[in-house]
Amino acid sequence: MANISCTDIVKSYGAYPVIEGMNLSIPDHEFVVFLGPSGCGKSTMLRMVAGLEDVTGGRIEIGGTDVTDLPPGERGVAMVFQSYALYPHMSVADNITFGLRRQGIPKSEIAPRLEQVAEMLGLAPYLDRRPKNLSGGQQQRVAMARAMIKTPKVFLFDEPLSNLDAKLREKLRTEIRKMHLQLKTTTIFVTHDQLEAMTIADRIVLMRDGKIEQMGTPDEIFERPASRFVADFIGTPAMNFLHATMEEGHVARAGGIAITLDPEAFPSLKPGQKVELGLRPASMDLCEPGVENAVTGTVVLVENMGAEGQVITEVEGEEMSFVTQRFRRLSQNDTVHFAIRRDKVHVFDPNTGQSLRGV
Amino acid sequence: MGRLISVTLTRALLALLIVVALGPILWTVLGAFKELRDIVTPVPKLLFSPTLENFATILRNPTIRDGLLHSVIVVSASVIIGAALGIPAAYTLARHARNWGDDVQFFVLSLRFMPPVAIAIPFIVIYLDLGIYDTLFGLILVYLITTISTVIWLSVPAFERVPLNIEEAAAMEGCSPFEIFWRFALPVASPSLFGALVFTFVLVWNELLLALTLAAQNATLPVVAASITSLGKEVPWGVINAATVLLVVPPLVFIGLLMGLLNTSVQSGRK
Amino acid sequence: MKRKTFVTLSLVPAIGILASLALVSVAGAVWFALMNRTLRSSDYEFVGAYNFLRLLRDKRFFNALEISAIWEVVTVTGTLVLAVLLAVLIYETVKKPLWRNLICFAFLVPVLLPRVAAAFIWRFLYSPSLGLINYLCGLVGIGPVEFLADPSLALISVAIVDIWQWGLFFTVILLKLMETLPRDPIEAAMLDNARTWEIHAYVTLPMLKAPIISLALVKAVESLRSFDLIFVMTGGGPGTATETLDLYAYQMGINMGGRISYASAMSILLLIVTTVVFTIIWKAGKKWAA
Repeated sequence: MANISCTDIVKSYGAYPVIEGMNLSIPDHEFVVFLGPSGCGKSTMLRMVAGLEDVTGGRIEIGGTDVTDLPPGERGVAMVFQSYALYPHMSVADNITFGLRRQGIPKSEIAPRLEQVAEMLGLAPYLDRRPKNLSGGQQQRVAMARAMIKTPKVFLFDEPLSNLDAKLREKLRTEIRKMHLQLKTTTIFVTHDQLEAMTIADRIVLMRDGKIEQMGTPDEIFERPASRFVADFIGTPAMNFLHATMEEGHVARAGGIAITLDPEAFPSLKPGQKVELGLRPASMDLCEPGVENAVTGTVVLVENMGAEGQVITEVEGEEMSFVTQRFRRLSQNDTVHFAIRRDKVHVFDPNTGQSLRGV
Repeated sequence: MGRLISVTLTRALLALLIVVALGPILWTVLGAFKELRDIVTPVPKLLFSPTLENFATILRNPTIRDGLLHSVIVVSASVIIGAALGIPAAYTLARHARNWGDDVQFFVLSLRFMPPVAIAIPFIVIYLDLGIYDTLFGLILVYLITTISTVIWLSVPAFERVPLNIEEAAAMEGCSPFEIFWRFALPVASPSLFGALVFTFVLVWNELLLALTLAAQNATLPVVAASITSLGKEVPWGVINAATVLLVVPPLVFIGLLMGLLNTSVQSGRK
Repeated sequence: MKRKTFVTLSLVPAIGILASLALVSVAGAVWFALMNRTLRSSDYEFVGAYNFLRLLRDKRFFNALEISAIWEVVTVTGTLVLAVLLAVLIYETVKKPLWRNLICFAFLVPVLLPRVAAAFIWRFLYSPSLGLINYLCGLVGIGPVEFLADPSLALISVAIVDIWQWGLFFTVILLKLMETLPRDPIEAAMLDNARTWEIHAYVTLPMLKAPIISLALVKAVESLRSFDLIFVMTGGGPGTATETLDLYAYQMGINMGGRISYASAMSILLLIVTTVVFTIIWKAGKKWAA
């Protein structure tokens, strides 16, 4: 039983505020990812939950206990660092078991737990080695084993995969996810990689400038971004944005481009209102001319991504891109038509950046 | 051809540099094994019948023997105390002093700006008044200024190079600040710390002015060596050379270590 | 153990001892400087600024001040110039790591020598009748040169020993620093057809500006502690040709009649000057290097 609740968290270095009044509640067993650009306060938030940073104001509870002023060792949390933070002067086995030995747990009890954890992470052959004789991926597994063996109430991961190469990163990502399915320990995972967040999280907390920009499942974040910032941050290739003015019949017009919107999704839009449209390249594809929401452009560049291609076009002096599988027959200066389904269009307030969906 | 000449010239220049670096010392070592008549020659002699007489003379001489003993006691005591007090202080300055750490470090460093004579002059009077003039205790006490400040000065960067995450990981496992220092920071930083202690040792072993002013009968080896200018009528160059060799050997033992220390600090200094 | 307890227990003994010893020596020096105390008698009385006023009329004091300043300038610039030249020379001509390491080892030896030992070694080499250097001079028809007894040569002769010890040491440090420099800017300069000396003058050395400044500072501090070398080699002579401030203070306070108060006044002036100058240089150097 280890839900986490953070109430009115404030953190500032001197007069410089990093986190301003953050409220967050994480239910038991959930895998939550803190996502955001560097400097958004996600690592600071994690370190405050760990107890490595003092909280300037507010209250942190883990499993119903107020841990705000407890030292890190007494919070029942375990952390995996980006730099692995293995103890260089100890063997792998000593690294993993240090915490248990320190608590005075008998050797007879430690040995089977070590064996089990080493087995699970494939570390059995390396137990006698020093950390510096391991590869990066192995070192990160040792760091995970060190966290797991303590059977903590909460796992904290601080960008644990950033120092690994792309292939290994994907592999360990899957392993971490599997580990969570098996152990069901409440987990907070910090990353700046949106793809990593989308694939691994039960729920994403997207942060910006020390505030929560949006909180939700990967699907919610992707399908219904709460703001232009979220829409821009999530998804590759990046979203196209288009300034437009509303006309009668729920049509947004930008020059020669007319996009019909879903009246049920955006009931509040009035003719004459200025809006900013968000069109995901992946939601658009080639079409016949004259179809609803069709856009006509000139091909500037085709980027081959293997199974599909990103086509960058020029539409009335602006760059717009879309993704299609039928990219191989396109070449520079071709005129193309592509369209988006009306329920895939995002609309934002051009001043506040907030989504105009619903309400 | 021109290239051959320039290569030969550079080689010769480099060889000359090595001779300039090592020659004086080797010449002294040679001199230590010479009899006086082989030294006092108009043409320097490279070939001679070596003698151990000079070393026998200095080792038989009670003043020099005492000087050696005093040096060993004073230097080891002041370095050990300096390490015991300075290393924990350096760790705290590196890790637990956010706002005032710089000021303390500047104070420690400013002690190294202090001209030794400015310490020696007042201390001689104070020591005379307190009755600890010419005691080993007095020398150890005044050397603590050098050892503690040097140990702190060199150990703070050594501790700063210990990855902070390692200490945080230890804190996550429930270690107290002292445990983190003792079981993690200290072992991880120990190679650089050892270098710092060696440097401190060399500084104190080589010190002359304070020992010269604050001690008379109980002086250290550099003072005794500095005072051998004549034992009898002629300048005993052979004996002086032998005493120099005796003085030089302990610091030179650590040259490999100094090299290693230099390599690590240079590399981590610029990432 | 709580964090506060640990901080207190680890810091207080070390800083306490340092602070009290520093305080005792500074306060002691100030106190004695205002008295007329000598080593010979234990009676003394308050004389106010008398010692300081006398200093201002003491020609030998101003001579010592001048010698000290010359000594600082000559040894610091000599050391740095030698180190920079030799480091570049070795960097360019010695490429094999083994040879580089051997040279580094050889260059580290002099600085490890006790000053007293270095002084003896060079006194022996400089000796007019049996020294190796005068023998070599004789071969080319010069000399014998009275290196340490000639007032115009003595100071520079001693400074050469200091530069021999520190210049070679700094060469090794600079060489190691040059080895850690990123190769890209140097290679970019090579692609621009820069000559070797241009690469070093405009690329490598400017990149090492910060460490070179700190080395200069370290050497400046270290040059203040050259008492041992000068004391053994010349004792301040001939006459007062090599008498720096610390030598003069030592002679006044201990050797000649033990005029403790007068020497204290001198050491206080020395202390003030060095502290002020170095604090300014230190702060400026930090800003400049940053």
